[in-house]
Amino acid sequence: MSDKDKPVGSGGSRPAEGAPTTSPAAKVGSEPSNPPAPPTATGERAGHEAQPASKPPAPPAGGPPPKPAPKNPGMVTFTVNGLEVVVKPGTNMIEAAKQVGVEIPYYCYHPRLSIAANCRMCLVEASNAPKLVPACQTPCAEGVAVKTDTFKVQDQERATMEFYLLNHPVDCAICDQAGECKLQDYYMRYDAKPSRLEGQKVLKNKRKVLGPLVVLDQERCILCTRCVRFMAEIPQEPQLGVFGRGSHEVIDVFPGAELNSNYAGNTVDICPVGALLNRDFRFKARAWFLSAAPSVCTGCSRGCSTYVDFFEQDTYRYRPRENEAINKSWMCDQGRVSYKYLSQGRVKLAYIGRGADVREATRAEALKELAGKLAPLKGKVSVLASPLSSNEDLLASLAFAQEVLGAKEVFVGGRPSGAADHLLMTADKNPNRKGLEWVAAGLGLALRPFEELSKGIEGGKIKALYAIGAEVPVDAGKFAQSLQKLELLVVQAINENAITAQAHYLLPATPHTEDEGTFSNLDGITQRFRKAYPGQGESQPHWKWASELMNELGLTTRYNSAREVFRALSARVPELKSFEWDKNAPPARERGGVRPLPTGADGRPMGRREFGEPRVRGI
Amino acid sequence: MSESKPIPAGHHAVIPAPDHELDAELQTKRMQINLGPSHPAMHGTVRLKVELEGETIVTADPEIGFLHRGFQKSCENVTWNQVLPYTDRLNYLSALMNNFGFLNAVERLMGVEIPERAQYIRVVGSELHRIHDHLTCVGAISLELGGFAGFLYGLEARELVMDRVTELTGARLTTSFGRVGGVNRDLPPGWIEKVLKTLDKVKELAGEVDALLTKNRIFTDRMRGTGMISTDDALDFGFTGPCLRANGVDYDVRKAKPYWVYDQLDFDVPIGSNGDNFDRYLMRIEELKQSDRIIRQALAKIPDGPVILDDWRIVLPPKPEVYGTIEGVISHFKLVMEGVPVPAGEVYDSTEAANGELGWYLVSDGTGRPYKCHVRAPGFPILSAVPRMIEGRMLADLIPTFDTINMIGGEVEQ
Amino acid sequence: MSNYALEKVASRYPEALDERYVDRAGDAWGVVKPAALREVMALLRNDPELQFRLFISADAVDRLNLPVPTPRFEVVYFLKSLKRNEHVRLKVRVDEDHATVPSVAPIFQGANWWERFIFDFYGISFEGHPDLRRILMYEEFKGHPLRKDYGLRERQPLVPERPIKDIFRGPGTNGAQ
Repeated sequence: MSDKDKPVGSGGSRPAEGAPTTSPAAKVGSEPSNPPAPPTATGERAGHEAQPASKPPAPPAGGPPPKPAPKNPGMVTFTVNGLEVVVKPGTNMIEAAKQVGVEIPYYCYHPRLSIAANCRMCLVEASNAPKLVPACQTPCAEGVAVKTDTFKVQDQERATMEFYLLNHPVDCAICDQAGECKLQDYYMRYDAKPSRLEGQKVLKNKRKVLGPLVVLDQERCILCTRCVRFMAEIPQEPQLGVFGRGSHEVIDVFPGAELNSNYAGNTVDICPVGALLNRDFRFKARAWFLSAAPSVCTGCSRGCSTYVDFFEQDTYRYRPRENEAINKSWMCDQGRVSYKYLSQGRVKLAYIGRGADVREATRAEALKELAGKLAPLKGKVSVLASPLSSNEDLLASLAFAQEVLGAKEVFVGGRPSGAADHLLMTADKNPNRKGLEWVAAGLGLALRPFEELSKGIEGGKIKALYAIGAEVPVDAGKFAQSLQKLELLVVQAINENAITAQAHYLLPATPHTEDEGTFSNLDGITQRFRKAYPGQGESQPHWKWASELMNELGLTTRYNSAREVFRALSARVPELKSFEWDKNAPPARERGGVRPLPTGADGRPMGRREFGEPRVRGI
Repeated sequence: MSESKPIPAGHHAVIPAPDHELDAELQTKRMQINLGPSHPAMHGTVRLKVELEGETIVTADPEIGFLHRGFQKSCENVTWNQVLPYTDRLNYLSALMNNFGFLNAVERLMGVEIPERAQYIRVVGSELHRIHDHLTCVGAISLELGGFAGFLYGLEARELVMDRVTELTGARLTTSFGRVGGVNRDLPPGWIEKVLKTLDKVKELAGEVDALLTKNRIFTDRMRGTGMISTDDALDFGFTGPCLRANGVDYDVRKAKPYWVYDQLDFDVPIGSNGDNFDRYLMRIEELKQSDRIIRQALAKIPDGPVILDDWRIVLPPKPEVYGTIEGVISHFKLVMEGVPVPAGEVYDSTEAANGELGWYLVSDGTGRPYKCHVRAPGFPILSAVPRMIEGRMLADLIPTFDTINMIGGEVEQ
Repeated sequence: MSNYALEKVASRYPEALDERYVDRAGDAWGVVKPAALREVMALLRNDPELQFRLFISADAVDRLNLPVPTPRFEVVYFLKSLKRNEHVRLKVRVDEDHATVPSVAPIFQGANWWERFIFDFYGISFEGHPDLRRILMYEEFKGHPLRKDYGLRERQPLVPERPIKDIFRGPGTNGAQ
């Protein structure tokens, strides 16, 4: 609009001060076929570099001119396309240019990995270097004028793109990456010229299975080595390498080995093209049909920030969302494939009765009958809470248990513990154990270990059980057998299992993708997650069941949203009191009111499933 | 409705006693009648709530929206090229002019110039559809004033034009022809000769219509001096095209701000003087002849060359490149899935459509879809002036007035 | 292009224009303060040198999803001067909370329907408009469909037939259910 029409200091329109050192020597051989000088560690060295090449024969006395005094002490000041940038010493040009909205294209650079500078896409013109310099590798130096839009740079970008596409297969139609592929983006932006290839493309292995989660199409690979560097540096399990030479260079695992790291899935995320693909997701959905909701992984108590990529009411994959405090840009493979419980084996309706007497019921019917059963049992119902539920679910449900059922203690359910690893994955496989501890303590309820519940049921001490979530840390089948003794078993469950089969009242609950809420991870960090889609079938969140049961049993308290629950009850929990529910919300998933339509016609630009720009650096 | 005397419903109007008994006026009461929305004389689906005092129209209130299709909202959610089918349905009698007008505005926003041959093709297509539009309008006037023959002659000629348009675009009515950057198809072989022959025949048939109507007493009696509007009012309301020129205002976008190759072609803009139905009719008869001139010149001058830009950022690559090279398939994929990347900005641009200035106010936010797609349909302001043109006149004048302004529901109601 | 007209407006009413700029296609725009809109319109129309007599059109833009989303609405006006053979492009910016613009219908009769259109589709009301009601949508319609927060596929309930009191329809329900 108008604000864009104005020439807001448009880059490059006015020439930068002290533009390139155009001595004849610098002009000859401008073709950057050879990489420029080795990486420079500091701004000081970069400043010296240009000296020998462009020095005129009659220098002023006293060696090289003194280094210019920094304009901003302690910082480096220079210009990108004429726009002044002030950065910390050592910042590379890509990150510095981002500060003023200048985008420098790159494939191999990743802000969390070491610099390889092999993709040659980010070459820019700098006034202190005779040739183009890789922006990813070159730290900014005081007073340098960087230009990203000159003919020389554009020509280089076009040439690079042409070489990348030379051997690239004609695969967009069958490639999972289509729509979120950097080759496509950059081709349209920097090349857009027909192919000049004569003859055949180099053929390589199209479907090399690297490991349980990752498959490689070597023809699509552009050898940026992001995946190699990732495996070596982040999980420090160097399972990938570059093999061969020249056009026949390929990424591969070492002979006899496989890519079985728990972090292999991240190589798919950081692969800028469609070479590394997720075997779990491959051919399941086209990227442009999926919407993304900012969410939290429920695979373990680490609580990695994720995007939930969904279409209609099904989740198709998790992708890591950047969170400096928890998972940086990564997530583990076990978490990555843990989305499956969101759609498989769900309890979608309310059921009354067990065994042969079981019948479907509407929510209202089930509530009414259940309320009648619970009313006389006040103080005699034990409560089992699952740390898979969100803080809001627990706040409302435990408050209900305390006030209406008269509970004084809560038994802790949840998934059994498993293996931990060295990076992100923890042994506790429940995302909100901390939250459960906080909420119970805040409400004045005692937490009891699960074994006591088992003993109590075996011993016949417990006659009625109210379960918020059907996950148990022991073998569900065995435990379910003991449940047959109970006179009343109410289960609010997401998934069907042996326990839900024993319930007198089975109420369908929603997982985190179907409502808003918060989880508190093992370090005590509380995170908001957004609702992706409405509850499947008749399911509704635990807090809503609690709220409706309260109303059914005569209480007037009514909660209409998770936000209301948090507002009303979090004051009783000191750890949650300070959490600002609204402020800590990640942006909503998409523009209001727009549902995914075919042919990508839902108003979002392709490859931008998130609201606005994707919040993962380096993709 | 209410400037007039309030008369309670069901009561007779109190009319002062006449001086002479034989002059006694028929006791009458005001009557509200509905014209439309489903009435053969209400082109498209306009409802006209008319209050009558005898046969005189006291107030008229057009109610529109029965043909509203959410044009703008639809356009905001599709890519720039996908807007074309929606523009077909604005003025469905001259779809090509809508297609090309929209594309012209988009190209202006992008700052690209289309190849010369494409500009000639756009001129030829536009003028063919101008002939088509005017023939339909004139034929409809004839029909609704009781002359079926004129309608049949008009439609026979119109069908010939339509056949040529079909050969060019592949569609009879909803052409969706042209793409951002040019036109999507070159002229079919032998088409030019066919068009020239068609023009001869159209000229003959239009002459018949002209001869049947222009000096026909019955016709002129109903057209002359009816549906008058003053020049001041016409400007104020936003009349453009033949309706404005019937008032003697020389404004034609093709001359005022020549686009494509109109400045290289020799044609006149007919100007009327009275601003009544008859002049509006004459403008159309005269423009038929001028369009004929334009097409003949354009077809004689049309140069060889490409019909669309050769830039894969804007225009789909040739199919062999799409199927055979990765460059082609990427370009195709991105253009189809994301749309033509029109840079962020805004533009108002207009072309001369059959009924007047067809204006487009487009806003792009830099993605492949329009952020805002305002269309200034020439019929919209003209229809808004209908009460002004017929209030105080006879009910029978409404029909020719409605005919000569050539209201097209599709463009007015978007 | 029409810089002269805006120049003249600026010199006559120095406070009236918030901003002037040239768009991508090279056309000049003037952003008018709502309060000064009528004065500016009257000047453009009546000044013997300018004579922007032909009212081309008006529409609005919802800036909700643009990089600069406030003020939320822009009402745009296009006038044509046959004397100078040029268009003038004006816009008025209004907030969502006070989405009211002075009507120019008293100056240009042609603005009447366009303002009704904007009212219908964006919910911007026009002060001093003689007959401000919906034009294309029906009275019972809730919301304003061209606002960016109105969903593409939103549905509205069917409305019952309106009883028509002043029209005798013969035997039947006469519109009443």
